[in-house]
Amino acid sequence: MSDATRALSEGVKDLGALAVYRPDFGKQGLRLSAFLPGEALSRAAQFLREKGFTLLDVSTAEFQEGFLVTYHFDSFAEPCRLALRVLLEDKAKPTVPSVYPIFQGAEWHERESYDFFGVIFEGNPNLVPLLLPHDLPGPPPLRKKPDALASFAALGLFGEAEWISPGWPYAPAAAAPDAGEGAPQ
Amino acid sequence: MTGFNFINPFGVSDEPGTYLGDFYTDNFEKKATAGNVILNLGPQHPSTHGVLRVLVELYGEYVLRAEPVLGYLHRMQEKMGEVKTPYQYLPNMGRVDYLNPIAWNWAFAGAVETLAGIEVPERAEYLRVIAAELNRVSSHLLWWGAFVMDLGGVTPILYAFEEREKLNDITQIVTGSRLTLNYFRFGGVGQDGDARFFKLIEEFIPYMRERLKMYTGLVTDNVIFRRRLEGVGPMDESLCLRYGATGPILRAAGVNYDTRLAIPYGVYDRLECPVPTGQPNDCFGRYMIRLLEIEASLTILERALASIPEGPTLVAKAPKPTYKLPAGEVYFAVEGARGQVGCHIVSDGGKTPYRVKLRAPGFSNLSLFAEAAQGTILADAIAILGSLDLVIPEVDR
Repeated sequence: MSDATRALSEGVKDLGALAVYRPDFGKQGLRLSAFLPGEALSRAAQFLREKGFTLLDVSTAEFQEGFLVTYHFDSFAEPCRLALRVLLEDKAKPTVPSVYPIFQGAEWHERESYDFFGVIFEGNPNLVPLLLPHDLPGPPPLRKKPDALASFAALGLFGEAEWISPGWPYAPAAAAPDAGEGAPQ
Repeated sequence: MTGFNFINPFGVSDEPGTYLGDFYTDNFEKKATAGNVILNLGPQHPSTHGVLRVLVELYGEYVLRAEPVLGYLHRMQEKMGEVKTPYQYLPNMGRVDYLNPIAWNWAFAGAVETLAGIEVPERAEYLRVIAAELNRVSSHLLWWGAFVMDLGGVTPILYAFEEREKLNDITQIVTGSRLTLNYFRFGGVGQDGDARFFKLIEEFIPYMRERLKMYTGLVTDNVIFRRRLEGVGPMDESLCLRYGATGPILRAAGVNYDTRLAIPYGVYDRLECPVPTGQPNDCFGRYMIRLLEIEASLTILERALASIPEGPTLVAKAPKPTYKLPAGEVYFAVEGARGQVGCHIVSDGGKTPYRVKLRAPGFSNLSLFAEAAQGTILADAIAILGSLDLVIPEVDR
């Protein structure tokens, strides 16, 4: 982990991250990934904007734990691809604040996630279907059937955690003993 | 029935809220100022390259607001990624962007190889670079012809197609197809090039350099053409950062960023790729960057041909069609003709990937159009749209 990445990792932690991961770039293609609570997202986006980062895409996926919205960022000056994740546990009404005020390009990426998963981005100026017909019947097409849902925590999908906030229940399986001590339950 | 009303065939009334608009027009009209004209460009308009639709609010000839409407060529490629095994899904990559299929081949194959830890033989890496650069030249050529045609010059596209024909003949030797190329395999490439393949590329490089000189005389130095583009649609670094624009648009804005060098993949780090940058950031700068990139690709091709080693083109233990990805996630990006092509795969270790997210550079590049077109005249908005190098199948996926 380089100094720049370490500084970013500390910065993201200070913004109220729930967990910070240290992925293996050669295997995952990411230098850093972090889980954030929804309310810290705008602050984190602003932090990255000031550091010269750009939003590459918004990639949502549905898991047993809820909808996981992943924002991929990269910097053109010092390439350092990283992912910020927000887990939306309320499956009935998954809602996350929009990062449109900071990265205007997010408007379309968020509308795409709205199309495919029905995730609502509060503050998006034009949250209407982008790629799908506005009158498409049925649930959003990339939602999975309950029996097809996987658990990212059980599978340890995001690699080794560097730091986990005490009480955060989705520690990867490998790091579970560590987090168990700090967890209240 | 009272017969067909030729004056007002659809029974449209002037009353507000009863326009003949569809959902998107109605939505767009909500924010319109009374008295302005709402114009629908596309989805069949030739300057919108296929099936893009752009709604514009016009005050006289000035664009007050623009909103691209997507989805006319949406095929749910990401869902197909979830129901097919990676091996079955690979040919889809030739169809996401039909002008630059090799970059998409590379993004998906690279993502799978990175996640699964599959090695790629040296010779295959060089063949990948050769195929990718040939494809980049071919994509830029079609853009060049179509862009000049957007601006009213019909002849150049015929020259561009002559060059493309030669490139198609070359890539057909190794890929077997002329449009939806599917050359990559997990752990290598489909087949090795024969003597004719390498000979044709060697002949093509000097030929293309001569043609580029002709392009300069025919189009680039044309005073009408220059007047049409210079100073039109400036896009600075801040705009690119806010919208995530990459590729020639970003480099024309003066940012020296190319995925081939910034996050090296394949053997690009050994080939010392020249990256043209620092043009004026208007439509003309973006035009020049792409012509310079053709030249740069020819240089990379020369270097790759000079240093390609002998050896196998597919790793010995290449995945079978039933291959399962290990559990995990991966993000892999390559530099396509239009910018950074990214592929994000989440796998739960099952038969098919759990989630495949495709990052299309055209999607982010087009999203800045609404802001860039604001306040320009309609004809300039068409020039800006053309200078973004859009391929709608890629934007819609």
